[in-house]
Amino acid sequence: MAKADLLQGTLDLLLLRILALGPNHGWGIATRIRQMSQEGLNASQGSLYPALHRLELRGDVRSEMKPSENNRRARIYTITAAGRRRLDAERRSWEHFALSIRRVLEAE
Amino acid sequence: MTRFLTYLRGIFGRRAVEREIDEELAFHVQQETAANIARGMSPSLARRAALASFGGVAQTAEVVRAVRATPLDALWRDLRHAVRALRAAPSFTLVALAVLTLSIGAATAIFSVVDGVLLRPLPFPDADRLVAVGELNVKTGSDWGLNLVAPQNFIDWREQQRVFTGLAAIGYASISVAPEPGREPETLSAQAVTADFFSVLGMAPLIGRTFTIENEVDGHARVAVISHRLWQRRYGGAPDVVGKYLAGQRGSFEILGVMPPSFEYPVGAARPTEVWVPSVFTPAERIRGNEFGYRLTVLGRLASGLSIAQAQAQMNQITARLAAETPRWFEDRVSLVEPLHQYVTRGIRTWMLLLLAAVGCVLLIACVNLATLMLVRLSARDRELVIRAALGASRWDLGRVLLAESLLLSLGGAALGVLVAWSGIEALRAAIPADVPRVAAIAVDLRVLLTMIAVAVVSGALFGTAPILQFSRRSVSGGLTHATRTNGASRAQRWLRGALVTAEVALAVVLLVGAALFLVSFARVMRVDLGIDARDVLTVRVQPLFRAATSTPAQQRQRSQLRNVLDRVRATPGVEAAALVNGGLPLRGDLRTIDFDIPGRSLPRGQDLDFNEISTDYFRVLRVPLVAGRFFTDADREGSEPVAMINEAAARRFFPGEDPIGRIVTFLGTRRIVGVVGSIRHDGPETDWRRQGFVPLDQSRAVVATLVVRLSRPAAEVLPPVKSAIWTEFPGLALPDVDTLSYYLNRLVAERRFNMLLLGLFGVLGTMIACVGIYGVMAYVVSLRTHEIGIRMALGAIPRAVLWSVLQRALVQIATGLVIGLTGAWLLGTLVSGFLFQIQPREPWVYIGVSAAFIVAGLGAALVPARRAARVDPLVALRQE
Repeated sequence: MAKADLLQGTLDLLLLRILALGPNHGWGIATRIRQMSQEGLNASQGSLYPALHRLELRGDVRSEMKPSENNRRARIYTITAAGRRRLDAERRSWEHFALSIRRVLEAE
Repeated sequence: MTRFLTYLRGIFGRRAVEREIDEELAFHVQQETAANIARGMSPSLARRAALASFGGVAQTAEVVRAVRATPLDALWRDLRHAVRALRAAPSFTLVALAVLTLSIGAATAIFSVVDGVLLRPLPFPDADRLVAVGELNVKTGSDWGLNLVAPQNFIDWREQQRVFTGLAAIGYASISVAPEPGREPETLSAQAVTADFFSVLGMAPLIGRTFTIENEVDGHARVAVISHRLWQRRYGGAPDVVGKYLAGQRGSFEILGVMPPSFEYPVGAARPTEVWVPSVFTPAERIRGNEFGYRLTVLGRLASGLSIAQAQAQMNQITARLAAETPRWFEDRVSLVEPLHQYVTRGIRTWMLLLLAAVGCVLLIACVNLATLMLVRLSARDRELVIRAALGASRWDLGRVLLAESLLLSLGGAALGVLVAWSGIEALRAAIPADVPRVAAIAVDLRVLLTMIAVAVVSGALFGTAPILQFSRRSVSGGLTHATRTNGASRAQRWLRGALVTAEVALAVVLLVGAALFLVSFARVMRVDLGIDARDVLTVRVQPLFRAATSTPAQQRQRSQLRNVLDRVRATPGVEAAALVNGGLPLRGDLRTIDFDIPGRSLPRGQDLDFNEISTDYFRVLRVPLVAGRFFTDADREGSEPVAMINEAAARRFFPGEDPIGRIVTFLGTRRIVGVVGSIRHDGPETDWRRQGFVPLDQSRAVVATLVVRLSRPAAEVLPPVKSAIWTEFPGLALPDVDTLSYYLNRLVAERRFNMLLLGLFGVLGTMIACVGIYGVMAYVVSLRTHEIGIRMALGAIPRAVLWSVLQRALVQIATGLVIGLTGAWLLGTLVSGFLFQIQPREPWVYIGVSAAFIVAGLGAALVPARRAARVDPLVALRQE
């Protein structure tokens, strides 16, 4: 199955969702997206990193340069309280959106 | 909060942020590589696969950076790029900075002069309400009348006018201070003013009070208001100065008050006024009789709500009424109300604007020059810019970098230029003629600085924009293959380059023609035969008090004292000859005129003659030749036959075709003419001969005189014994006017000298900058064509032909510029004709000379790159391929 391109605006939702599980770095987040979507989704690095930095500027996540597992410095992103609120809101609006789409598709 | 900190970090920790972005992305690649290895790939394959899956690392970093960028960031990045680019081209940067420094420095200096002298408002409260009220002779139309108002007219105006809150008159005064131990006696510059003077100007004294109208009467007028400067200088700023007496040689003045330091009138004079005393009008001046004593400057402050036109209308009414009463007095005379600022800057406005235009021209040349150099550089940097565009920089990004470069250059040039101006301003202030108003106000201050920053930004934008336009017009994507090595310049680019160089040349030629005209004018003024030899003549005004000299014996005593001074001075080493003169000293600007008559002949009414009382050696001192008859001798004394001499101009006028020797004439009594001398240009090189007559000092009633001394040693050596000779006869006498004739001559030609020096400087500067432009373009063209030239050489081209082909190209641009520039000079010529002396603004040989000079200079500039072209080694050139 071809990997689906991410819908506009959904990347932020996914990033916040993954960071809600715990702090992580960019590579970890990318890997998690691939794993959790069972290889169904693939966020390209070219949009992943700009999106993370945009979230940080918006105050939904914060980041810190920290030594990682193999003792190299990595930027670790952590979700903020504002980020959690946004995650809830975005999740609701996504579910509403998905539900609406399904209703249309499944309507007789 | 976090957001704000992130933002702050974006501004202040920008470098760290960027490093971290790179680090973050590198970390990603490493993790991916490690994961690939774990999946069993070889390390090198693993890394390649990681990079491939990432897409472009550099692009991503660029996008992330763009996300994080603050506006300040973008600016900073542009500036950094600009600095890097400028440092990579040191010779360009140095030349550009030098050009900008010189032109902005010159512009700053001139602008500060024009600003201080012309543009700045006068330093009085509501200065725009201040006016000068004067009288004007409508027949002659001369405006000198404006500062010469007759006292009774002023008094009538003051009583009858209702349009001014006050009207004040200013007259001349001088106060010689009684000598103090250890100090030479000095003469303070003073003004006699009416009571309203201070209130009209809107200034109150710092301490004490000023005059009232009661002080304008003899007997109550021995009071003075002193300047802050004099208070500090003479009284050490003592607060109890009010009530003290200023001891003048002709009586003392009670000090009523001290003006604040900001108060000065005339504004910014080279020699500020230090004492103000009340005006006293003599009974004779209060009658409209036969005395035409026009001597006052009148200032007024417009009542609020009234316009100049309304004030003028009322002054016209008053003058008409007075004219009806005493028509003879008002023959051809009207009153004129003029804004004070305009009155003060009268006569220098055109001149100052001319200087501003000239320096603006230099600045324009500099801008065009930099546009040319930027364009040349841009062509050389095509490849860099194209690569940047390919990496995603927008056209606007590229334009911004270029603009940042030019603004950086222009602001740098402005900073250096202001330093140059700062040091040059003193020289300017020293060189500027002393009679220019408000010289002391000239300074590089905040106002000038702000203007110059604005000028720098505008010029930076000006010379930065042309290349940007040029660049934007080109297809960026198409450039990568095309622009890299072969002749990169498009036809439009080449055309623009040529046009810019031509414009530079044209502007420089206009300046150079102007400079040449001023130079020739000055040279011709200096070559004018004055009729005297003004070199090495020291002059000292000896003006002893003649309180007691009203009686004939007292006059005789004072004359014999003067003679004693003369004898002592003659015996002084370093004195070749010495004489006394009373009347008018040539070039000093004073003269006396008297009616002249020939008995038995009816000359038309109003024939007059300058008259001078002289001692025997006067003509020897000034080296005026004897034309006929004889000089005065010691035998021409009191009691012997009254004799006179006249000059050639007078002889021609009064005795055309006759021999004047032996004729009897009437001036200062009836006298026999014994000699005719050569004529003198009494008022300076640009004036005509005056008719002059001379009588022996010993046969006159003169009690004051000016000592003229022909020196055979430096003036500084001779002056002390001369002074002590005077003080032996007249102890403690103040000597306010001690100067050489050359000094007076220089004062007369100071404006010309100033203009000539500045325009000459600007002309040379403009030409140099234009030559830099020619050099830059030719050097660039040669560097582009190195390969082509190499091939030609390999095919047997002669170096001289190569050299000539480069020069030819330069010559075309120079010639086009010359044609345009000379046409411009031709059209502008009439604007400067008022500044020229004995030369027409369209003098052909000036044009020819300037063209020749410019062709030599321009070809000289092109010769360097041309010779480089001729020396191209075909092997080296081809190896570059």
